[in-house]
Amino acid sequence: MNQCYGCNTCKSADKPLEAFIKTLPMETSHHRVDSQKTKCGFGLQGVCCRLCANGPCRITPNSPRGICGANADTIVTRNFLRAVASGSGCYIHVVENTALNLKKTAQKKGELKGLNALQRLADIFEIRTEDVYEKAEQVADAVLRDLYKPEYEKMELTEKVAYGPRVKRWKELGIMPGGAKSEVFQGVVKCSTNLNSDPADMLTDCLRLGVSTGVYGLTLTNLLNDVLLGEPELRMAPVGLRVIDPDYINIMITGHQHTIFVDLQERLVSPEAEAKAKAAGAKGFKLVGCTCVGQDLQLRGSHYTEVFDGHAGNNYTSEAILATGAIDAVLSEFNCTLPGIEPICDELKIKQICLDSVAKKANAEMMKFDFDHREEQSKAIIDKIVDAYKERRGSVSLNLMPEHGNDHSLTGVSEVSLKNFLGGSWQPLIDLIVSGDIKGVAGVVGCSNLTAGGHDVLSVELTKELIAKDIIVLTAGCSSGGIENCGLMTPEAAKFAGPKLRAVCEKLGIPPVLNFGPCLAIGRLEIVATELAAALNVDLPQLPLVLSAAQWLEEQALADGCFGLALGLPLHLGLPPFVTGSKVAVKVLTEDMKELTGGQVIINSDAKETADILEKIIMEKRGGLNI
Amino acid sequence: MKRIMIDETKCDGCRNCELACMQAHRSTPGSIYDLDLTSRENESRNHIVSLQDGSYRPIFCRHCDQPECVMSCMSGALKKDPDTGLVLYDGEKCGSCFMCVMNCPYGVLRPDRTRTRVLKCDFCTSAGTEPSCVGACPRQAIYLEEVIG
Repeated sequence: MNQCYGCNTCKSADKPLEAFIKTLPMETSHHRVDSQKTKCGFGLQGVCCRLCANGPCRITPNSPRGICGANADTIVTRNFLRAVASGSGCYIHVVENTALNLKKTAQKKGELKGLNALQRLADIFEIRTEDVYEKAEQVADAVLRDLYKPEYEKMELTEKVAYGPRVKRWKELGIMPGGAKSEVFQGVVKCSTNLNSDPADMLTDCLRLGVSTGVYGLTLTNLLNDVLLGEPELRMAPVGLRVIDPDYINIMITGHQHTIFVDLQERLVSPEAEAKAKAAGAKGFKLVGCTCVGQDLQLRGSHYTEVFDGHAGNNYTSEAILATGAIDAVLSEFNCTLPGIEPICDELKIKQICLDSVAKKANAEMMKFDFDHREEQSKAIIDKIVDAYKERRGSVSLNLMPEHGNDHSLTGVSEVSLKNFLGGSWQPLIDLIVSGDIKGVAGVVGCSNLTAGGHDVLSVELTKELIAKDIIVLTAGCSSGGIENCGLMTPEAAKFAGPKLRAVCEKLGIPPVLNFGPCLAIGRLEIVATELAAALNVDLPQLPLVLSAAQWLEEQALADGCFGLALGLPLHLGLPPFVTGSKVAVKVLTEDMKELTGGQVIINSDAKETADILEKIIMEKRGGLNI
Repeated sequence: MKRIMIDETKCDGCRNCELACMQAHRSTPGSIYDLDLTSRENESRNHIVSLQDGSYRPIFCRHCDQPECVMSCMSGALKKDPDTGLVLYDGEKCGSCFMCVMNCPYGVLRPDRTRTRVLKCDFCTSAGTEPSCVGACPRQAIYLEEVIG
C-alpha cells in the first residue's frame, strides 16, 4: 500500500495535494499526463476530420482540402459546432431532469425549501396562482414546454429571463433559440457529413446554442434547484480532504443534478439509517462533496449541516479523495465522473452506483433515479452502501489528509445572498466600482484541467494576479474547488489582493474571491451582471466585467463559453478550443464578435499576460462609462 | 554523433513529425496552435509515405556517410560537416539544379514551393534543439542513436 505508483505526476496549484498524489500506490489522471504529452497537432488545431469513410483527412500545405473538398474553416467550425451542441445537450439534460423533479415534487406536495425562489420564478414567468404547489408545477411546466418546442418555434421564457437589451441584440442577430432540445438536434444535423459548409452560419448556431444553454441550462437550473433544495446562505465551511471523517460511512457524490439527491439526503440522517450505520460500526452517514454537485451542496450547505461534511475537491481531485480509503461509495449522476476512478474503486472495494444512465460507469451498478419509487430506492442504496462499508473497512487501509484545505472558506454566495449581504441593493458594490476600490469584476469559471500548467495552476495563478490588480474574482465550477482548496476563499486571502481591494475585503470580512458554487452558477453570475447593468442602465458589454474559463475542459464549457459570448462578455481561455486551424473561426471569435455581440475570445496560457490583457479591457470599459 | 533511426513498423502515419518539423522551421514566432497549416511557406522537410499494404514509411534525411546529394551538388550548397557528420544546406549557394533531388536514394529531398530551393533537414541546428520530429513521435518510430563518425 505504501509503494508509490510512479512519481511522474503533473503539477498542481495545490502543493499538498500534488505531494499526496505523487506518493499514491495507484495510477491517477495526474500520472497519465506525462504519457499522453505528445499531442496530435492536427487535433490541437481542429483540422482533423473523421466525419466520413474517406477520412480522417488532415490539412497540410500540400493538402489544403479534405477529400470532399472541405477546407480548414469548414472542418474546424463543423467540429466546433459538434462540440457546442453536445455540451448544450448536457446542460439541457440537467435542466430537464431538474424541472421534472420539481414538477413531480409539486404534484406529490413534497417539501419546497425555497419559496422565495419560487415566487421569484413565478413573477418572472408571470404565473399568478396562489397555491405553492400549483405554482411550482406551472413553473416547471413552463420550462419543460419551452425545452420540448420544435426548433422553428421560439422558446417563450428567453425574453422573460434574459436582459432586455441583450434580447434585442439577439433578435437582430437572429439567435433567439427555438426549443432547446431541438436546437441541439439542429446543431448535430448541421455539422454532419456533407451538410453545412458555411463557417459563419455554423458559428451563428453556436451562439444560438449558447443562449439556450445559458438561459435554460444554467440560469434556470439554479433557480429551479433553489426551489427544491433551498436558497444559498452565506457561511464559512471546511473544504479539502480534511472534510472526510473516517468514523462515518462516507458517500462521495459526483455530477450536476442535485435534485436527484433530495430524498436520499433526508433519509441518510433518519434514525433508521443512523441505526443501520451504528450497527455496522459507524457513527452515521456523511456525503462528501466532489465535482459540481458537491459545490451545489456546499452552496446550500446551511440546509444540510447534518448530512454534508463539506466539499473535498474538484473533478481532478476525485481520485485522491477515493485514495484516502475512507470513502465507501460513489454515487454519480452526471459528469465529471472520471473513468479513471473505476480501477481505484475496484482496488479499494468502493461501491459505485449510477443514478442516471447517461453517466453509467462501466463497473457501477445502475439504479436509474425513479421519482415515484425514490423512498424504496434510497433505502436500497443505503443497504448496499452499508454492505460495502462492512466488507471494506478493516481490510482497506486509510491514507487520510486531515490537514488538507482549510476550515473557513466562504460559501453560499448567490445573486440573492450577496445582495442581501450588501444591504439589499447593489449600490454599495457599484459605489466601490465607481470609486475604483474595486477596479472590475472577473468571473473565473468553468472546469479544471491538467494541461494548462497543471491541475488548477492557471486558474489559481490568474486569480492571484487579478485580485492583486484590485479586480474582485467570482467563481463558478470546478475552478471554485481548486481555488478554495488553495485558500483564496478564506478572509485571510485578502492579503493577496491589491491595497484597495484588500481594504474592502478586510472592512467587510470577506475573501477577495467569492464562490458561487457549481458551473451551473455561471447563470448566477449572469444574473449579477444583468442586475448591475440594469442598475446602471447600460448593456452587459459596457460593464467592467470579464470572464475566464482558464482551465476549460469539456464540451459543456464550450457551450457555456458561447453563452458568455452571446452576453457580449470578453472570454479568456487558457487553451484554444481546437479552432486555431481556421482563420475565419479565429477572426470571428477574437475580433468580429466585438461588433456582433460585444464579446471576444482571448486565448493565453500565461497568467500574468492574461491578467494584463483583462485589466486593460476592464480599464477600457471603465473609460466607456466615464469612471 | 547522433543520427535519426527509423523503425517503420511502429509508424502509424500520424504526421506529428511533419508538424514538428514545420513548427521548428517556421519564419514567424508562435506555437503549434497558430502554425499556418495551409501555407506553403511552412512545408515539412520530412514526410510520411503510405504503402499499398497499408503500412507507412517515414522518409527522413539520413545524413549519409556517402551523401549522394553532396556528391551531385555542383554549386557547393550541400556539404557534409566533417565534425558533426551532418549534411547541411546553404540555400544562398543553391543553383536550383535539383540534381540532389534526383540523386537522393531515400527520396527525402524535394524542391520547395518557389522551385528555387530544396527542403532539407538541418537536424534542427537552426532551431537550436534536438531534432523536433523525434520528440513529437508518439510511437518512437523515429529515435536518436549515437553512431561512430
